[in-house]
Amino acid sequence: MKPVKIAMMGMTHGHTRKYYQTLLENQKLDWVASCAEDEEAKKVYEIYQTGVPCYLDPEKMLSEHPDIEAIVLASANDRHFEQMKFCAERGIHILSMKIPTFDMEEYDQMIEMVEKVGVVCQIELEMHYNPVVKRLQQEIASGKLGKLLSVQATNITLSPVWAFPWQGNPEASYGKRVPLGDGSGRFRGGALCDHPHIFDLIRWLTGSDFASVFTQVAPNLRKELEVEDMLMVVGKLQDGTAFLFDPSWSRLEERLKVPAPGWEIFPKRMEVNLTITGEKGMLMCDCFGPNVYHNGAPNDRYTVQYTYFDEWIGLIDEFVDCIRNRKQPKINLKWHRKTVACMNACYDSVAKGKAIAL
Amino acid sequence: MCEKLNASLDFLRDKYGCPAGMIVAGSEGFELALSNGKKVVLLPWRVERRFVELKKIVDGKTLEDVSTFRFAHFTAGGDPVKLAAKELDLAVFLANSPVRQIFAVRNGDSACNILASLENGMSASVECGTRLPAGTEAMDRHEIIARRGVASDRVVDTQVPQSSIYTWTDSGLRTYTDVDTELFGLTNEQVWVVRAAFAVLMKPALAEEWNHAAAAVRKYATAIVASDADNKPVIF
Repeated sequence: MKPVKIAMMGMTHGHTRKYYQTLLENQKLDWVASCAEDEEAKKVYEIYQTGVPCYLDPEKMLSEHPDIEAIVLASANDRHFEQMKFCAERGIHILSMKIPTFDMEEYDQMIEMVEKVGVVCQIELEMHYNPVVKRLQQEIASGKLGKLLSVQATNITLSPVWAFPWQGNPEASYGKRVPLGDGSGRFRGGALCDHPHIFDLIRWLTGSDFASVFTQVAPNLRKELEVEDMLMVVGKLQDGTAFLFDPSWSRLEERLKVPAPGWEIFPKRMEVNLTITGEKGMLMCDCFGPNVYHNGAPNDRYTVQYTYFDEWIGLIDEFVDCIRNRKQPKINLKWHRKTVACMNACYDSVAKGKAIAL
Repeated sequence: MCEKLNASLDFLRDKYGCPAGMIVAGSEGFELALSNGKKVVLLPWRVERRFVELKKIVDGKTLEDVSTFRFAHFTAGGDPVKLAAKELDLAVFLANSPVRQIFAVRNGDSACNILASLENGMSASVECGTRLPAGTEAMDRHEIIARRGVASDRVVDTQVPQSSIYTWTDSGLRTYTDVDTELFGLTNEQVWVVRAAFAVLMKPALAEEWNHAAAAVRKYATAIVASDADNKPVIF
């Protein structure tokens, strides 16, 4: 199979660097170029010494590499629409970061323009390619637990805002400046926007969609942020499954400009755990554990060193397969729309102080 | 059961010289019958060593500016609403603040998830379920998240409680976690009931405080059922 000529664009998203190894090693890909959002992003990109040329102008990148077939949009949420349009108009396949947009009208325009030209548009929800999640899905599908009655899930991390400032900017993260509630000094665009995975996973695990959600925002851990960093969500699916989600930035971090060892203050920088109650039993699952541990450099602080890195390999494999074999990715724009709509409903619930029906 | 508990209580009373009292079975758990005829609802979780230490961490400002209590408790059978209401009392106890609002979502008698906000602005979530197979030890987790620091009764990067001793023999795996030398031989559940009774006898002011808290727990349980039924928050 001819390798897919691929590029990256933006280079400001927190997941940007996670693609480098896969794009370089996967023989089904030929990573030919990158295009940074600005000089600052280019400077950070160059630290990693990928050997792949980096441009600042997408037109220039395409004129130098007219054979680019696919682009990873590794950018802030408010840049996705314009970049997706740029790709669709040129028939270039798209791998979008986890939130294409929170503006549902814009979202529908994205669906329309992608379908019109027939390009692949895959959404990056990497948990699907995690081996623990694969086992979890098998266990549930086997029926051992019976019908699922309740799912509690965490998607908690440190806050990436110091390295990726757009994630603390309401306009760049949420798309516009919307207060969390009347008179609130905080705005939509924080931890919730960073953590769609558990909203997506429960739909896969149950085969059901959201019926209603209620969301409660807690006092921020980081006083400086103008977006939410602590919140909890409860609700029900249409099949009656109850759920409780914690998508907070509840793990404190050193305020590094570039992610590096010593980033975490709390020993474990990220956790996706699920507790599932079924009619026939219970299951607890840590999607990123167990791991290895140290208290060495740079801070001599007890630290969880992750041993899980498979996600981007499987994700890129699927993307290539969809491009070459004209398939629809599992996580496509249409599938993901209900997840994004639910996340918007969570914000509406905070604003109105009541449960929101979907 | 009460006979064994009272023998242990008598041992402590005799050793430390405190007034008479007897542990009796009540409608919602154990109670302490005082010599003046009054009864005190026992709240054993309020004397459980790990929660006492967590409270010290909060009260002593080891954690600064608590934002959120994140609790979970899963059992083999029982009532998830009552379980959640008791967990909420633990949050109230640790936060030194009453509950302002509860929103609850249940699934029959199997699961109960609640979000609560406290008068002092702190937030709490409680996840409860009762579908562990019969004979399985309860599983719980209590985490307190603050601007400065996180405290928990579970080890980082683990999902289930650890034990003090693990033995592998022909009879399989056995684990032991003994928590009280003076009351050695009682189960942990029994230890905390005796310690709760002893605490009230040693500090009589707890009697009113705990009866008041027990009444609040009943109120939380009623609110949980109402919130789930109406799909609305209950504001106190």
